[in-house]
Amino acid sequence: MRMIAIAHNTFREAVRDKVLYVLLFFAASAIVGSKALGWISIGQDIKIVKDISLAAVSVFGVLIAIFVGTNLVYKEIDKRTIYTIVCRPIHRYEFILGKFAGLAILLAIVTGLMTGVAALYVLVLGGSVNLTFFTAALLIYWQLLLLTAMAVLLSSLTSPILGALIVFSAYLVGHATSILHDLPTVLKESWSGRLLEFIYYVLPNLSNFDIRAEAANGVEVSMLYVVWALGYGTLYTAFLLGLASLAFEDKDV
Amino acid sequence: MSVIETFDLTKVYRGHLGRAPKRSLDALNLTVGENELFGFLGRNGAGKTTTIKILCSLLRPTRGRAIILGEESRSRKARRLIGYLPENPYFYEYLTPRETLDFYGKLEGLNAAERAAEWKKLAELLDLGDIAGQRVRGFSKGMRQRLGFAVALVGNPPVLILDEPMSGLDPLGRRMIRELMLHLRDEKKTIFFSSHVLGDVQQVCDRVGILVNGKLTRQGRIDELLCEDVKGVEVIANTLPASVATELSGNTRHVRHSEAGYHFTVDDLNGANELVRRIHAKGGAVVEFTPVRESLEDYFMRLQEHAK
Repeated sequence: MRMIAIAHNTFREAVRDKVLYVLLFFAASAIVGSKALGWISIGQDIKIVKDISLAAVSVFGVLIAIFVGTNLVYKEIDKRTIYTIVCRPIHRYEFILGKFAGLAILLAIVTGLMTGVAALYVLVLGGSVNLTFFTAALLIYWQLLLLTAMAVLLSSLTSPILGALIVFSAYLVGHATSILHDLPTVLKESWSGRLLEFIYYVLPNLSNFDIRAEAANGVEVSMLYVVWALGYGTLYTAFLLGLASLAFEDKDV
Repeated sequence: MSVIETFDLTKVYRGHLGRAPKRSLDALNLTVGENELFGFLGRNGAGKTTTIKILCSLLRPTRGRAIILGEESRSRKARRLIGYLPENPYFYEYLTPRETLDFYGKLEGLNAAERAAEWKKLAELLDLGDIAGQRVRGFSKGMRQRLGFAVALVGNPPVLILDEPMSGLDPLGRRMIRELMLHLRDEKKTIFFSSHVLGDVQQVCDRVGILVNGKLTRQGRIDELLCEDVKGVEVIANTLPASVATELSGNTRHVRHSEAGYHFTVDDLNGANELVRRIHAKGGAVVEFTPVRESLEDYFMRLQEHAK
């Protein structure tokens, strides 16, 4: 009940944020504009449109997760609205999970909306979408949940700007973690090699959620892989939310 | 029975970027009794808000503990027993008062029917009916304070903890808050509040506690703390020529003139009676005779001087 109230309020606040609509406008423009790239790739235009559309869903979803997520707890402390909430008979973790859930619901709607527009656009252009296209969108959403959990954790520890920089870096590096692992043998033995390997194991491997190429080409992805990726995302997200709850438990506000 | 009790409550804020740690509260031992209206006084930075934040579990004490109706202040049971009004209360700007109370009702675990009843009761008590549908954004200080009181009262807690409830309000607003606090005391609530407005505190409080530099220097009933002795007497006389007034001023502490007449201030009642006799002898008329006793403000200032 209490967590739902906080989630509902977080959702309501985010929906009234104008930044959301600006980002949605740009996402829609990117999806529609993807046809322009399709024209210069002869015979591949539908593939390009599908690929760019899913990339737009991912990038703009990440931007929303970062902009809203890194402000979630920080803004409550900064604006002092938290005073009259944590003095109530609620567990502090309920507050953290409620804030996360509110943004997760918003991202579900936004991702669903963008995916729906992209699928419709592909159909209008004469293409077809199969289950892999929607599975790709689901995995993008799961990636957004993980990044939102990271944003919530940082929001209870640091400023939104620093938090946004860290989450965005994690997003970029998280899609290229294989580079950190597949190091040349010479580098592997050095301290910098060990550091990069440590980062490889600590950072989430976001390429696990990336099946855009398969979706664009209409290639089926095994259900086992999807379940594995969803499980990986769920565990990582739960771990980050656990950390966020711990960090917030004894925090002076 | 004690409603609020603190034992050696201490808070030291960690210093950041090489700054020294700051001791905001130093071994505070405080007791607030049942159905009391307790005023918590101190200068800016004395530790009032820190104490209140610890009682409301917004801050964790460095040492010591706080008990509310027998429960540790950080426990959920204790938080169920308190209603908190922060200084300059902030709410979600995009919500209306009705939505705001509904939200806090959910946090208290009230069901829909209970929340509707709570709204009806609090809207009537705090006169929120006219602004029920307006967004909080754009509310005046007085409207926010009324809403803040309503939020503090959601769930009908037996203990109210109010941080500067009269700060920034006009005389009408302050009066409204004073009357509300007295009304809530009549409803058997215990009210603990901090304030700078000493005149208001003196009017409504049963007991006060005074903090100086994080230490509780005094706590007790106002009439016990204040000196009952007459500090001086003001006598106002008219129909006196200026030359006579100058002659009479010889045995007084201070003289000034206003439309009401000459204001003579003398040290004690004997001196005042002698002055009245001489005024009458010179053909003057005494229009006012006021013994001056120590106010809470005088007492507060005396303590501050003593602390230097």
